[in-house]
Amino acid sequence: MLADLVQNSLDGLAAGAAYALLALGFTLIFGVLRRANLSYGPAIMFGCYAAALTHQHFGAGLFMLALVTIAGAVLAGAYVERLCFAPHREGSAIAAMVASFALWMQFEELAALVLPGHLYAFPMLHEGAPLALGAFTFRIDALVLLAVAILVCASLWWMLYRSRFGLAVRAVIEQPTAASLAGINVPRVLVRVFALASAIGGVAGYLVVASNGQITPMLGMWATLKGLLAMMLGGLGSLPGAVLGGLALGLIEAHSQWYLGPQMRDLIAYLLLFVLLAARVPWMTSRSAS
Amino acid sequence: MDFYFGLAQLIGVHTLLGLSAYIVLLTGQVSLAQAGFFAVGAYAAGMLTVLAGWHLVPALGASALCGGALACAVGFPALRVKGLMLVIATLAFGEGVRLFFFNFDYQIAKGELKVGPVGGEGFRQIRFFPENGWETWEVMLFIWVFVAGAMALLWWFDRSRYGAVLRAVGEDELAAQSVGINLTAVKVSAMTVGGAIAGVGGGLYAHYTTHIEHASFNILLATFAIAYPIVGGLRSVYGTLLAVIFVQGILVEGLRFMGDWRNLLFGALIVLAMNLRPSGILGKGRHA
Amino acid sequence: MSLLAVEDVVTAYGKIEALKGVSLEVAEGTITCLLGPNGAGKTTLMMTIAGILKPRRGRVLLGGTDIAGQAPHAIVARGIALVPENRLVFPAMTVLENLQAGAFQRRDKAAVAEDVERMFTRFPRLKERHAQQAGTLSGGEQQMLAVARALMSRPRLLLMDEPSLGLAPLVVEEIFRIIAELHRDGTTIFLVEQNAHMALKVAQHFFLIEQGKVTFSGDPGALAEDEVIRRAYLGSAQQ
Repeated sequence: MLADLVQNSLDGLAAGAAYALLALGFTLIFGVLRRANLSYGPAIMFGCYAAALTHQHFGAGLFMLALVTIAGAVLAGAYVERLCFAPHREGSAIAAMVASFALWMQFEELAALVLPGHLYAFPMLHEGAPLALGAFTFRIDALVLLAVAILVCASLWWMLYRSRFGLAVRAVIEQPTAASLAGINVPRVLVRVFALASAIGGVAGYLVVASNGQITPMLGMWATLKGLLAMMLGGLGSLPGAVLGGLALGLIEAHSQWYLGPQMRDLIAYLLLFVLLAARVPWMTSRSAS
Repeated sequence: MDFYFGLAQLIGVHTLLGLSAYIVLLTGQVSLAQAGFFAVGAYAAGMLTVLAGWHLVPALGASALCGGALACAVGFPALRVKGLMLVIATLAFGEGVRLFFFNFDYQIAKGELKVGPVGGEGFRQIRFFPENGWETWEVMLFIWVFVAGAMALLWWFDRSRYGAVLRAVGEDELAAQSVGINLTAVKVSAMTVGGAIAGVGGGLYAHYTTHIEHASFNILLATFAIAYPIVGGLRSVYGTLLAVIFVQGILVEGLRFMGDWRNLLFGALIVLAMNLRPSGILGKGRHA
Repeated sequence: MSLLAVEDVVTAYGKIEALKGVSLEVAEGTITCLLGPNGAGKTTLMMTIAGILKPRRGRVLLGGTDIAGQAPHAIVARGIALVPENRLVFPAMTVLENLQAGAFQRRDKAAVAEDVERMFTRFPRLKERHAQQAGTLSGGEQQMLAVARALMSRPRLLLMDEPSLGLAPLVVEEIFRIIAELHRDGTTIFLVEQNAHMALKVAQHFFLIEQGKVTFSGDPGALAEDEVIRRAYLGSAQQ
C-alpha cells in the first residue's frame, strides 16, 4: 500500500517536472503580455517535428535533436509572436487569442504534411531497464527529466534575479508603463521573453517526446492544455506557482490513475481545477486580479 | 448537389454553435464551455431518438433544456471569475464534459443490435433521418429552420431592453452595476440561453452525422465557437453567420483545391482578418 | 534657448482629442509648472512628451531635436525622465532594484553605484528601506522612490506628474522642498500640479491648460493667485 503510494508519487513527480517546464513558459508569456497563447503547445510540436524529420533524414544524435527541437520551438514562437501578439499589444486580448488559435491550425496541418502518418518513433533518451532501488524503480529518462527541470528552474531564477535582463523582465511584468519610462525597451523584452519561453517549452517537449519514444500530432494540444492547467493550478502569473502547479498536476494524475483508473485521470484534474477556480481559492486570484 | 446541401447543414450547425458563444460574449465573457453544451445536446437528442424512440423535435427540445440547465448550473460558479481565469474554468468544464462521455457507456438491445453510447468508441447509428426517409435537402431545411429561429431570437434580444442590458454589462460591469443591473442574473441568463442554443445545435449535429464521439467535442470545437463571433464582430448576429460562411464555406471548403495546404492558408487568413479588423468583419474599424 | 518646446501638439484617444494643439516652452534651469482642472489634458501632455502616447500632430523639441513619436526608452536615452502620476513603483522589487531599473540604460556600473549612494543621501528613508519591497512603502516614500528612480537616468529634463497626489500636507511640503533642492542643483523641472498654491511658490513660469488648450502663460504673480487657483480647479466659467 505505502510502497504504491511512494512509487506513484515518484512517477507523478517526473511527469510533473515536464508540466512544470511547460507551465513556466506559459507563465513567462502571460506575465509580460497578459495574453493567453493557445499556439504555445503547437509551436513546441513544430520543434519536435523538426527534430523527428532531422532524425529520419540524417539520423542525428540525441543532443543534436534536442538542439533542433529548441531551435524549432523558438522559431515557431517568434512566428506566433509576430503574427498574433505584436499587432494586438494594446488591443483586444481575445483577437490575439483567436489569432493564436488560427496558427495552431497551421502547425497541425504542417505536422500532418511533413509526417503524414499518425505516429512516428522518436529516439529514446534511454533504452533498457529502469534503475531499481530497494522496492522502488526509477526510470532513467524520468531522472534526466527531473534533473533538467531543476537545472532550468535554477538558471531561470539566476537570470531573473541576478542579471540585467532579468531586472528588465521583472519590471515589465510588474509595471510595463513604468518599465518603459525607466528606459527599458519593452517590445524587445517581450520578444526575448517569448523566445525564452519557447526555448523552455522546447526543452520540455523534447524530453517528453524522447521519454515516450514517439510523436503524434496530438502533442500540440496536449502541451497547451497541460501547460494551461499547471499554470492555473499554481496561480496565474506566478513563476514559483507554475513549478508547484506542474508538480501538483503530475501527482494528481499519477494518483488518480492508480486509484480510479486511466480513463478518470484527466477528468479528475479538470474537475479539480474547475472547483478550485469557482471556489476562488486565494492563491489563484490574488495576482491576476489586476 | 448533395455536397452543397451537406455543406449548408454543417454551416447551419456551426452557426448555432457560434450564436451560443455570441450571446455570452455580449456580456464580455469568453466561454470555452460551448463545445461541452453542444456535446450534451448531441448525446441527449441521440439517446432520446435512438434509445427511447422519440421524434426528433421533442428530442431537440430536451437537448435545449439539458444544454440550458447545465449552462445555468455552471454559470453560477464559473462566472465568479473573469478574464483568462474564466476562459480556463470553462475550458476545464468543457474538457470535463468530453471526458465524461469518453467514460460513458449506456447500451440497450434493440433487435439483434446493441445501441447507445460506448465510451471511447462513441455513439453510432443515430439514424432518425434515414429511417424516416428524409432527403439531404429536407434535413438541410430542417436545420436552417432552427438557425433562423435562433437568429431571430437573438436579433430580437438585441433590439430589446435585454440586449441593451447585455451590452452594458459587456462594456462596463461597474457602471452597469451602479445603475442597478444584477450582474449575476444577466451573465447566467446569457449563459443559459447560449447553452440551450448550443444544445439544439449539438442535437442536430448528432442526427445529420449519425455518429458522434467524445473527440469531436474538444478544445478545437470550443475555440471555433468563440472564433466565429469574434471574427464576425459583435455588432450583430449576422456577423457570426458571415464568419461561419467565411470559415467553413469559403476557407475550409473553398480552399479544398489547395489540398493539404488548406489549413496553412486558412490560419493565415484568420490572422490577417484579426489584424486588419480586430473587432471583427462587421465590427468597428481599426481605430475605434 | 528653451530646453523643451512643444509645438501645436494634438493627441487623441480614438476620436476624442485630449490635446487640441498645445504649444509651450520650458527654459533650461527653471521650474515650469502646468496647472489646470482635471481632464484638461495635463497627464496626456506628460505621457506624450515621454513617448507613452503618440501625438497625432505637432512637434516635441528637446534641445532643438524633434522627439515626437519616438519610443519611451529612446526618449529616456535623450535625457527626459518622467515621474508618472500615481508613482508606479515596481511593487514586488526592492527599493534598490527600483533604483537600478531607473538606471537601466547606463552601463557604467561604478557611476550608477555612486548615484545610488547619492540618492540615499538625499532620501535617507530610502536607504533605511533599501532591501524592502517597494509596495510596502508609504505613499510619501513611494513618491520619493519614484523621483529617485527617475533621477537615476541622469535626465536633462525631469517631468513630474502630480507628485503631491494623495499625500498628507506635511509630506507634500517635503516633496516641494525636494523639488526646490533639485532645482538648486541645476535640474530643469516641468511640473504638473493640482496644488496651485505650492506649485506657484517654487515655479519661475507657469502655463494654464483648459480643455486641451493652453489658455494662459506667465510668471507667478502675472495673474492673481485666486484667479489662477479658480481656473486651475474649475476651468474658465465661460467655456
